[in-house]
Amino acid sequence: MLTKRENLLETIRGGKPDRFVNQYEAFGILVGDPLMALAGPMPNPGERVVNGWGVTMIWPEHVPGPFPVHDEEHKVLKDITKWKEVVKAPPTEASEEAWAEYVEQAKQIDKNEQFLTVFGAPGIFEQLHYLMGMDDCLINFYEEPEAMHELIDYITDYKIKCMDEIIKRIKPECLFQHDDWGSQISSFLSPSMFAEFLLPAYKKYYAFCRENGVELIVHHSDSYAANLVPYMIEMGIDIWQGTMTTNNNPELIKKYGGKISFMGDIDNGLVDRPDWTRENIRKEVERACRSCGKLYFIPCTTMGLPMSVYPGVYEAVSQEIDRMSKIMF
Amino acid sequence: MSKIQEIKTAVETGKTKLIAGLVQEALDAGEQANDILAAMIDAMGVVGDKFSKGEIFVPEMLIAGKAMQKGIDVLKPHLAGEASVSLGKCIIGTVAGDLHDIGKNLVALMIESTGFEVIDLGVDVPANKFVETIKANPDVKVVALSALLTTTMPAMKDTVAAIRESGLTGFKIIVGGAPITQEFADSIGADAYAPDAGSAAVKVKTLV
Repeated sequence: MLTKRENLLETIRGGKPDRFVNQYEAFGILVGDPLMALAGPMPNPGERVVNGWGVTMIWPEHVPGPFPVHDEEHKVLKDITKWKEVVKAPPTEASEEAWAEYVEQAKQIDKNEQFLTVFGAPGIFEQLHYLMGMDDCLINFYEEPEAMHELIDYITDYKIKCMDEIIKRIKPECLFQHDDWGSQISSFLSPSMFAEFLLPAYKKYYAFCRENGVELIVHHSDSYAANLVPYMIEMGIDIWQGTMTTNNNPELIKKYGGKISFMGDIDNGLVDRPDWTRENIRKEVERACRSCGKLYFIPCTTMGLPMSVYPGVYEAVSQEIDRMSKIMF
Repeated sequence: MSKIQEIKTAVETGKTKLIAGLVQEALDAGEQANDILAAMIDAMGVVGDKFSKGEIFVPEMLIAGKAMQKGIDVLKPHLAGEASVSLGKCIIGTVAGDLHDIGKNLVALMIESTGFEVIDLGVDVPANKFVETIKANPDVKVVALSALLTTTMPAMKDTVAAIRESGLTGFKIIVGGAPITQEFADSIGADAYAPDAGSAAVKVKTLV
């Protein structure tokens, strides 16, 4: 029997996996490095905090997660042309104590079974709209492209500095980077706009990671983004996690398998819901496994971490994937 | 190309810096303000249609909406006193427990662009806020509810129930958002469902 990491490599390299890679099983994910903590902090339920970028984040108790506040009073960047005066990246140095704790966490990962994985969030696009709000962000791509390019470069350089520190400390084997690039039915940006603004930034960032020992780049976008897959390949993504069924994953696998792999096809909106049932999860997992096949595909919910909103859903999906492995392998 | 056609094209292609001048030129040339407005509404209809078909993306829709708004700023003084082109009032908001605003904002933009007066209640809107706003606006024609999370689908159901239980009538309820389907919309008693902002604008016109 292959180890979890061997099985993943067989799957994404078109080899001979002996079962489905079961969701996140092959990734030992460290969430929250010391520099991410400085860029945070994230609020707890019921709290409001100002993070390291100056973005006010709230988490009302009746809401499932934190959100940036973008009313006129709290928006960090009201005029993109003045970004150099307003935007200050968080520190890229943390205390030795903080690093020691993180290094200790890294040592707990069994690298025979799992890839030591760094969690990266927010992404470059997300950081842009956290600073200025989504509407202004999207309009600024049209109206102030030069300033947007400059700010993207600034954010990218910050991310590279952070990754440089992380690499020096723990030598991660995998980066799991979040950046949501679309809604469930379309990408936020047109492919040409994406290619102009985000592709060069991510090429630079992911190339830096790879040149410094990161073997696997896994990118999370729980959205439609089928039209961006050629750019994902170009920027060096190995696995796109979060791919929703709206992307027609079986078609993508047929077209791009071997250049990139797809992790998802089990939409959270369909399985992770208050009225979830084992029968529905079984049906969705079986559909995903049978339609997407054994290679270049990792069955997974579209959730961006190994968890579910409703207790029991993630585990039920995993059990059903195991069932499909027994049937199909 | 006629001035009216130029304006239509300028809105469709989001020419935010040119639109004000074009509208002023059209007015100076004797074009009727209502005709210019109708052309801009048509243009946004084209934009919504292209968005629904995946031919354009969110920035193109936003920039077209911004262009239309700039055109309306020039038109406004000339529209006063003329027959209203408003299709009525639409109250819109993201339901309680949900802070997502981009989808709701796009729908509001598109509905407004078709000629509705939009009252945007924002995000995380409690059911009683919708009811109070309907009471305060008895001429409302459409109430639009957005939910982007599976966790807030129950809040959408509760909101529709609260509106129905209030006994208030004379308007239709349309729902949408990532996890929402026609089946769910039917199950909670909504009058209509739309899968995207362009479709929502088309759908609400059929509701009044």
